[in-house]
Amino acid sequence: MWVRFERSDVTEMNDWIAIGALAFVGLLIPLGMMAVSYLLRPSVPETSKRATYESGEVPTGGTRIRFNIQYYMVALLFVVFDIETVLLFPWAVVYLDAIESDAVSLLEILGPMVAFVLILFVGLAWAWRNGAVQWAQTTRQVETESNRS
Amino acid sequence: MNGAVPLQNGDTVLLPERIADLTGLGELGVAGELLAAFLGAFIIANLMLAMTGVAGPWAKRKITAAFTDRIAVNHLGPAGIFIIVADAVRLLSKENIIPENADRPAYDLAPIVIAGSALLGFAVIPMGSGIHLADPEVGLAFVFAVAGIASIGLIMAGYASGNKYSMLGGLRAVAQNIAYEIPLVVTGMSVVLFAGSLRMSEIVAVQTETTLFTIPGLEWAVPAWFALVNPFAFVLFLIANFAEVGRNPFDMPEAPAELIAGYQTEYSSVYFVLVYLGEFLHIFLGGAIIATIFLGGPAGPGPAELGIVWFLLKIWAVFLLTQWLRSAIPRVRIDQLIEIGWKGLLVLSFANLALTAAIVGVIA
Repeated sequence: MWVRFERSDVTEMNDWIAIGALAFVGLLIPLGMMAVSYLLRPSVPETSKRATYESGEVPTGGTRIRFNIQYYMVALLFVVFDIETVLLFPWAVVYLDAIESDAVSLLEILGPMVAFVLILFVGLAWAWRNGAVQWAQTTRQVETESNRS
Repeated sequence: MNGAVPLQNGDTVLLPERIADLTGLGELGVAGELLAAFLGAFIIANLMLAMTGVAGPWAKRKITAAFTDRIAVNHLGPAGIFIIVADAVRLLSKENIIPENADRPAYDLAPIVIAGSALLGFAVIPMGSGIHLADPEVGLAFVFAVAGIASIGLIMAGYASGNKYSMLGGLRAVAQNIAYEIPLVVTGMSVVLFAGSLRMSEIVAVQTETTLFTIPGLEWAVPAWFALVNPFAFVLFLIANFAEVGRNPFDMPEAPAELIAGYQTEYSSVYFVLVYLGEFLHIFLGGAIIATIFLGGPAGPGPAELGIVWFLLKIWAVFLLTQWLRSAIPRVRIDQLIEIGWKGLLVLSFANLALTAAIVGVIA
């Protein structure tokens, strides 16, 4: 049986109630699976079982290792561009309406956005030049650096 | 939108409303509304779980086998599909081994965050045949935001496992996610320029109602799907999406030869199931976003009731492409990955946005 609905037939509901319901279900399903597993699974504690897994070798060294500084650099760069993206969203939404309204010229709509993006690209170019988005240095770069110092 | 407008494309009746009307829950006020919303959410969640949890891993094995000239699972049930049920029971009944260095609350929460965030993204996806949970005005921004929560789950899993390889896997996963998040969202924004709205149903309606061109002699009206209107944006979005869900050629976080299994190394039993399920849900969510904003969502020939069939076909086409690349393309290195993201895709995606804006401005 397929019932075709008209908009006027049904009471309009709040979208966010449904989204909240899915968030709740999305939490409930993993928790339910955990509960089922808790009832099914055995528990045979052994000391060596819980050792850190390093492909069967005896674990060496700690966990809190030093890692590449580049992870921080790209994260900082991400924050800048993420905020830029957030600020561009409203512009993208009203863009079509603004053009069709004929009240403002294309240059007035497009210009500020292009200027805004370009300013951030100057920043990206600077970061690029300074190697913030470069993971490994080439042997040549390492040589130049050591010659300089 | 007021209540008296007749049904049009892009003004569809949502699933909770349909349920409320069929069951008479609508007369119960707020309690009925909550119950209808909950039932709708439950249906969507289970539909997606059946697709990603059962059909997904099975298809992955079958497709990979076909590409590498093997047979794969074929003993239990038709074409071996019941092996997934057996696998689920096996994994759920395994002992849950918590590593001794684990950082407890975060270690337990990470699988829930990874699986739950992916599931929440499906709330705003119009799947056709009336299966559409919610249609808020900020639809597209919402789905990107929710899919982004997974990064937090990944870093939680990597850090809390107390294993340096998990840690590196988690860091790589997040570095990769944030490098490709910007190109993904900015390319998605170029679609918004055409549609003039973030509402998912309107993005779909604009694609299906506009005709790009008519094939002469055949009377075929080619719909203005954004993949056809702007193929450049479509390719950019596909690449950024593969990196975002961590699939080949961008499957760095797991890189089995280097990092054991990345952030999921120390997870066993039900936790492993949830992390694995979360990854599959993210692949399918990526496919759903691509289908919705570039491939016309549930649109296709035939009556509108067939929408869900077309929609699932489109998602599976994207999934097939993912598995094809997995079999065919070697993995890139972490330094190449970061450079492709920040120096290549980022610049290209902003160029695409500016060009699209200029073209839309000149044509309109």
